[in-house]
Amino acid sequence: MSSKPVYILGGYQTDFARNWARENKHISAMMREAYEGSLAVSQIEPRDIQSAFVGNFAAELYCRQGHLGAFFVDFDAVFKGLPTSRFEGACASSALAVLSAMAHIQAGWYDCIAVVGVEQMKTVSPAEGGDFLGTAAWYERESAGIEFPFPKLFGKLGDVYEERYGLDDRHLARIAAINYGNAKNNPNAQTRDWFMSYDHACQKGRYNVPITGRIKVTDCSQVTDGAVCVYLASEAFACEYANRLGQTLETIPRIAGWGHTTAPIEFAAKIAESEGRPYVLPWTRKAVLDAYRRAGIRDCWDLDVIETHDCFTTSEYMAIDHFGLTEPGQSWKAIEEGVIEMGGRLPMNPSGGLIGCGHPVGATGARQLLDAFKQVSGTAGGYQVDGARRAATLNIGGSATTNVVFVVEA
Amino acid sequence: MERSIQTVLVLGASGTIGSLAGGLLAQNGFRVYFLSRHTAGSLKGLERAIAQARSEVIARNIICGDYDGLLAEGCEKADWILECVAEEAAVKQAMYERIEPYRRPGTLVSSVTSSLVLEDLPKGRSSDFQKHFLSTHFYNPPGKMLACEICGQSRTDPSVVDFMADFLESRLRRVVIRVRPTAGFAGNRIAFLLFAWITELAEVYGVEKMDYLIGPYTGRIMAPLATIDLVGLDIHQAIIQSLQKHTSDFLHHKLVLPDYVRRMIEAGHLGRKTREKGGFYRRLESGKYEYIDPKTLDYIPSFQPHVRFVEEAKQLIHLGRYWEAFDTILRAEGTEADIVKQILSAYLAYSYGLVGEVTEPSVGIAGIDKVMSAGFNWAAPSVLVYMLGGREKAAKLLSGQGFEVPAALQKDTACEQYPFNAGKYFPAK
Repeated sequence: MSSKPVYILGGYQTDFARNWARENKHISAMMREAYEGSLAVSQIEPRDIQSAFVGNFAAELYCRQGHLGAFFVDFDAVFKGLPTSRFEGACASSALAVLSAMAHIQAGWYDCIAVVGVEQMKTVSPAEGGDFLGTAAWYERESAGIEFPFPKLFGKLGDVYEERYGLDDRHLARIAAINYGNAKNNPNAQTRDWFMSYDHACQKGRYNVPITGRIKVTDCSQVTDGAVCVYLASEAFACEYANRLGQTLETIPRIAGWGHTTAPIEFAAKIAESEGRPYVLPWTRKAVLDAYRRAGIRDCWDLDVIETHDCFTTSEYMAIDHFGLTEPGQSWKAIEEGVIEMGGRLPMNPSGGLIGCGHPVGATGARQLLDAFKQVSGTAGGYQVDGARRAATLNIGGSATTNVVFVVEA
Repeated sequence: MERSIQTVLVLGASGTIGSLAGGLLAQNGFRVYFLSRHTAGSLKGLERAIAQARSEVIARNIICGDYDGLLAEGCEKADWILECVAEEAAVKQAMYERIEPYRRPGTLVSSVTSSLVLEDLPKGRSSDFQKHFLSTHFYNPPGKMLACEICGQSRTDPSVVDFMADFLESRLRRVVIRVRPTAGFAGNRIAFLLFAWITELAEVYGVEKMDYLIGPYTGRIMAPLATIDLVGLDIHQAIIQSLQKHTSDFLHHKLVLPDYVRRMIEAGHLGRKTREKGGFYRRLESGKYEYIDPKTLDYIPSFQPHVRFVEEAKQLIHLGRYWEAFDTILRAEGTEADIVKQILSAYLAYSYGLVGEVTEPSVGIAGIDKVMSAGFNWAAPSVLVYMLGGREKAAKLLSGQGFEVPAALQKDTACEQYPFNAGKYFPAK
């Protein structure tokens, strides 16, 4: 990457199994816990932080609260007057906050930025929450009057695969089982104590209810409350920080590459656009290739681990070929050969992903970046991929409308 | 000796803990015999296990039957016999006598008891039985409460306890707490003393007021008297009586069962299990609650208690400002503040005071920390010390409330660690 490097100094994720409405907590309490936890793990000092960028999708709907950046200044007396901003791009909200923070650091505006991703979703019924999520699509055309618009859209993604390449739902069940299985090793994963098996994921019944089309409950990511705070820094600051910790700059993970594209918001338009082309979602593929190019890597086999957006099993199925693990339409091969499993050639979602770890919409991009940081710094604990030095993330907003990819290395 | 567990026999599978602990085993791929007096009871247990897993596929791993039909087969096939029958020594001992002829040498046998004298239970059984006998005290419901206290008796082979601790941790995802074989082990010993104390205070200040003052904001997911309703007043009584009989310590005089609680039990106000009659609480059709008046045993409507420092603390917790909330509590004055400080102090004094008696001294407060958070959903004692501002402030609070500061608190370092994710134990309620 020709532009100035941006470093990741660590961060903290709240326990995604918590229900903050049941705890009677304000959304800012979640942000505060993420922030305070991140100070404790990263040994950043409050005075180091020059700005805070908050990624959030729809706090106005879920919590009747906007203007989230303003809450950050309440977290410490030294933050009075601190410049803060809030970013929205559906499920990719905090990835956009990261991109903007990178740009500000590269432009020399700031040396150390706190990026907070946050979403509180358990404040409303599943039906109401499903309707709120529908605003991430073209609401008038794709969501109005539909109970769960996104399962429907991502069910259609599976249908497109089936039509163009063939799709066996047992491969989707395997994706679900892998993600739930990985989540068991992640102490902050929402489903870590839930039962799941491949057989259960294959079954339809009272405990695995079909939602719409081919999508069953086990194909879906979770409704999650969660926040993440992660620190990005310039080379000068990272150098000083490394010295402070008795480390060298080389040990500090950095964002080596990024990709960012926006596809047409309407799913049907995306699919029409890709008709006759190898990739079902070409703008997602482009974001991946841009990130590879900027990171100076040839292909996915230069990566050690991927944290991808599996809002549904179909989206991870899509990510497998779009990252290049297989030829277009042949994601099933990577699943059958165990490539994406822990111990496989290129593990996907050791954290459990959105299906296993949880999907607090506006926090997911930051969570993925933090997990990439943990992997390449060897601090992922029970879900560490041995020897990982380079990781990629894919965070998508809407029906793969906003696509953000990062490559992180140490 | 090389040990492994493939097949488990659950005795008392019609009960809640038997069926749910057995269900956990089935979820994790083990073959499990669900036995009780009648097959119909075992089948009910199976339904409960399926509901816990939220999946019917676990039924493939479960074989249901009754003692008359499948006891011999189950014992012969089992690598572990998990006994969950009624919490009476005679009932358990009769069951052990019944299974002994069929049990293979080396098969592990564990009881879910925590309140009976473990030493007495396997008396009369073979040496091999006694060597392989221990307690595995699951908390209820095991799908949500991950704590499992474990200990052997004097004749248990230590390697059996080591093996089981590792198995429970690695295969069943339990938070294992190694305890000493004292009545109530660690969790019930501490929690039920505080419950008893609060029932005594409720006689003076009322049920609603006590659960308001010692509510979730003080570091517990559920208020204390509401928790007794959940457990059942009859069970509460049995545990208190066992602790009265088998323990002795500096707070033994607080292990009380007030007369009004006895009268509640006699009148059938046992808590949630007697929904119509209620317990400390009674739920109305409207969804609202009434509270029992300890003096008359009549149910009275809520008077919506409102105490300024409590409301201020809750508002701070609502915003995630936990440390400031506890500072507010510490600065508060008056009868209500004294009650809150007294109970918080008692929790710390008793927990730290029992280090070495209920858990090994070498682990410090860690074992008790684990059982109170993973068994009761209470803030661990060391977390509470952190929230109160550290060891010195906590010691000052204890002294002010007339407690001796336990040595284990004076040298505790766990309370200096940042309490990651501890906010979940402090709902703003």
